[in-house]
Amino acid sequence: MPSMQSLGRELALAKPAYRILSEKFGEKVTSVTDYRGDLAITVDRAAWREAALTLRDHPELDYKLFLDLCGVDYLTDESRPDRFEVALHVYSVTHKHHIRLKTSLPERNPVCETLTGVYKGANWFEREAFDLYGIVFSGHPNLTRILTHDDFVGHPMRKDFPTGKRFVTKKPKEWLLHVPKGSEHLVLNVGPSHPAMHGTFRVQVLLDGETIKDSAAEIGYLHRNFEKMAEERTYWQIIPYTDRLNYCSAFINGHGWALAVEKLLGVAAPARAEAIRVILSEFSRIMDHLVCISTNVVDLGAITPFFVVFRAREEIYDLLDSVCGARLTVSYVRIGGLAQDVPDDFEARCRKTLEWIREVSEQMENLLTRNAIFANRFKDVGVMSKDDALSWGWVGPCLRGSGIGYDIRKDHPYSGYDQYDFDVPVGTVGDCYDRYLVRVEEMKQSARIIEQALAKLPKGDVITHDRKVALPPKSEVYSNIESLMNHFKLVYDGILAAPGEVYGYVEGANGELGYYIVSDGKKHPARVKVRPPCYNIYQAYPEMIKGTMIADAVAMIGGLNVVAGELDR
Amino acid sequence: MGLLDIITGKYVDPTHFKSVHEGGNIITTTVDAVVNWGRKSSIWPFPFGTACCAIEFMAFTGSHYDVARFGSEVLRFSPRQADLLLVAGTVVDKMGPILKTIYDQMPEPKWVISMGVCACSGGFYRSYHTMQGIDEIIPVDVYVPGCPPTPEALLAALMKIQERIQKGEQSKSAQGAHRVGARAEGSNDRRERRHIWADDDAARAAQGLEPRGRIHFKLTEERDESGSGSHHA
Repeated sequence: MPSMQSLGRELALAKPAYRILSEKFGEKVTSVTDYRGDLAITVDRAAWREAALTLRDHPELDYKLFLDLCGVDYLTDESRPDRFEVALHVYSVTHKHHIRLKTSLPERNPVCETLTGVYKGANWFEREAFDLYGIVFSGHPNLTRILTHDDFVGHPMRKDFPTGKRFVTKKPKEWLLHVPKGSEHLVLNVGPSHPAMHGTFRVQVLLDGETIKDSAAEIGYLHRNFEKMAEERTYWQIIPYTDRLNYCSAFINGHGWALAVEKLLGVAAPARAEAIRVILSEFSRIMDHLVCISTNVVDLGAITPFFVVFRAREEIYDLLDSVCGARLTVSYVRIGGLAQDVPDDFEARCRKTLEWIREVSEQMENLLTRNAIFANRFKDVGVMSKDDALSWGWVGPCLRGSGIGYDIRKDHPYSGYDQYDFDVPVGTVGDCYDRYLVRVEEMKQSARIIEQALAKLPKGDVITHDRKVALPPKSEVYSNIESLMNHFKLVYDGILAAPGEVYGYVEGANGELGYYIVSDGKKHPARVKVRPPCYNIYQAYPEMIKGTMIADAVAMIGGLNVVAGELDR
Repeated sequence: MGLLDIITGKYVDPTHFKSVHEGGNIITTTVDAVVNWGRKSSIWPFPFGTACCAIEFMAFTGSHYDVARFGSEVLRFSPRQADLLLVAGTVVDKMGPILKTIYDQMPEPKWVISMGVCACSGGFYRSYHTMQGIDEIIPVDVYVPGCPPTPEALLAALMKIQERIQKGEQSKSAQGAHRVGARAEGSNDRRERRHIWADDDAARAAQGLEPRGRIHFKLTEERDESGSGSHHA
């Protein structure tokens, strides 16, 4: 069983990131591991910020895409001298490589330098680590609670915080902005319950006429503690929770979770299961894009596309319903495969649904793409440059709209995406209209992938035969004692993953959806961190809308497709 | 010969109908019956959609399930124009005061549907930041189980509310207030609230103050010479 031992010196020096960091920082680079293909480098906290800067700016490394930053609590791990750890995930678009940079912090004084000047996107992630773990980032411009409310006491993700302990708040935070006394500008709260905010976000804007002078956002209005719950569930039991992250495309989340755990365990799903996963993921992507576009134009006052588009969505729901019995929250994947095989008429249903989708998207395009009002509201609105998009940590259709063709399905193929022929659309300007066009094109490409996958759908099982991972079939459980015991042990003890940590990622409908899983060998994961694409995207929103008109701000938010379940977790 | 009963929508023998006087072609009915019939057929919901259930709520308003058949397609995003609060999705502690404010701002008679297990009981989020059911802070008239409930279930809940409006029932007070969470504070008791207001008015009058919330309008003649309006004063 492979473990998380440090790499040998020769192997480590073959990694450019380690070579450059150790040349520069010497003894301050304390360890380097390569577990399941994830390169992780631990540095002393004195070198934390400099190491991140080197990763970003060194031409051989070029880790410019900020992905994730989170805290981890190792209270029960006796072998570690320090209780906390901060893990940073970054990606190099030029070298197509992920890396994890870590530093450990003592319980008594969990302080490290802020990365807000290095990556723009680090701001909210550091606030989150402060809120949930009490880790202090020195030099942070606004280190306050972000997910929990202001009357909350303690840091809930710490291992010694009881899961069910609640604190009641009676009032929402009144001021997010600093408004000078005697100011004649109008302060306007948009959200958390507002038709233009798709879900529970809140933006406070300072208006001069209709122009936004200043703005600030607040999140956490749907913080329902996925990560804390995950620490008390077995790897299977977490599957239903993942469905409720990005609920517009629930299947993709489960797909990502299964892949991440499979990576941690070192098992693979059968080819048929992978093909079905791809088909349903692509249908979910289409569904997500349809919801995104239709609700976005509802914000602009056009309700017809909404009614047109929802017909196709109902068809996809019917398909999912026939496969697993649920419309929205499917819980269809299992670790190592799928819950059960698809019905006999699956292929015919898929083709029928595809026809519906074609018809509906054509109608939608006729209604929108060359519609003068729509184009005027969208063109040159909310422009995001390439560099800023990377620094904020944008991914998915939003990043591709800004002109960077990073798509995990192409760059790091999983589930057999390399067998299918499809294109990755890329925008040129980076405005709302580009993001819309990228989504429309992606739906067509998804339909292409589905057709190819249907044409060569393999036969066989849909779940692995590894009896440490997958339950034996019911017929065997009821007929022989070995299977019965196997079933009992697996249900009772759960899947036991070897100690180690992985970062599994898939191309969600909004972009890179990552799961950072730390296992300590027990039946529950020690830490699960979701890397939600929306978190980075929404973080840029208050900056994007500064100086624009309030109506443009409304046009922008829908196109970013922020989903509260994923944002707040 | 039958007469159209506006309440059941069927043709009835007028002599068998309670509120119709015998022997004539004139229908008399109670004002309450007509008002309730009108109310039930034009429920305007406030969609308080927070999470996954809001997506099924969209299907409920969309073309396939078409809530317009029940006269409830007019979604109002202002609580002051709505009479049904449709809480769709998980409500967390941070959202609690906002939900309470919106409920308080709705004019009576008002009804509440709690859609999905998260809104009903917290669902499978039994943790540090999730409210264990919205009935900790506001009264709920119809609970719709499911994660998320199908649009049919939500339509059934709407019809349940219609039935109750027709019968002239009134909504109730918060049930789960004994659980961890904010106090219910007699949130739906109008009589109690009136007493509180009367006490407040009396206390302010004793101090020589006006009742809370009185708005003074200024007449537009009071412009100064420079021409700028005095309404900023």
